[in-house]
Amino acid sequence: MNPHPDDVKLTARLRESRPSPPLPPRFEEAVWRKIDDAEAKSRPTQTPTWLDALAALILRPRFALVTVTVLVLAGATLGVYKGVDLARRDAQSRYVVSVAPNSLR
Amino acid sequence: MNRSLIVILGALALCAGLFFGSYALCRQICHTSMSRPTDSLDWLRQEFHLTDAEMARVRGLHEGYLPKCAAMCKQIADKKKEIAASLTGATNVTELTQRQLGELASLRAQCQSQMIQHFLEVSQAMPPDQGKRYFAEMKRITLGEHEQVEKSMSDSPGMQHGH
Repeated sequence: MNPHPDDVKLTARLRESRPSPPLPPRFEEAVWRKIDDAEAKSRPTQTPTWLDALAALILRPRFALVTVTVLVLAGATLGVYKGVDLARRDAQSRYVVSVAPNSLR
Repeated sequence: MNRSLIVILGALALCAGLFFGSYALCRQICHTSMSRPTDSLDWLRQEFHLTDAEMARVRGLHEGYLPKCAAMCKQIADKKKEIAASLTGATNVTELTQRQLGELASLRAQCQSQMIQHFLEVSQAMPPDQGKRYFAEMKRITLGEHEQVEKSMSDSPGMQHGH
């Protein structure tokens, strides 16, 4: 429905009779900021748990590389130590078997 | 399941695999490369840091001892067979069996004293400190196990042998 031409005129007159004060500078930007802040407050906050922090740490390439290197070196060192010990025990048993018959041991 | 948990569990499994994989591989490589099953005297050279001259003396003693040891072992095996034959179908221990058991014990004692004599000779062919260590180790291996068995039997309740 179209407004009556007199209503339009009346509205214009009323607006002229009550002049609105000028808007403060950056008014629109401030309004949008307030709307954003209000929306952020209403959103449920999701703080990262210690599991998330640990997973994030694990996925860091430098951390992963250092961990892999340390583990491989530690495993290899222990393996070499154990291998030498096993070889020594084998050699000892071969000698003992050659000089001490089973019936005397 | 939580993504972080999956990442952590996967990383743990990977870490365990890497550690045990490198451990098993290095152990196997080291064990295989260091084992020389052809020479039974290898342990002496490695463990007691013997020179070539000392090894030659020890090898001479070892090769001289082996035929005596084998002969003694054969006598023990023959005596055990005699005892087994005399016990076939037996209902009690006869005088013959008792005598044979005594002879077997005597043969074992001779064999043992011959073996200890050999250890002493080998220990004297080594530098003094290494010789002492060798003799102590051989005593532990050849006599120590008997002592442990006897001690465990005399300590356990209901196993009093009166000695």
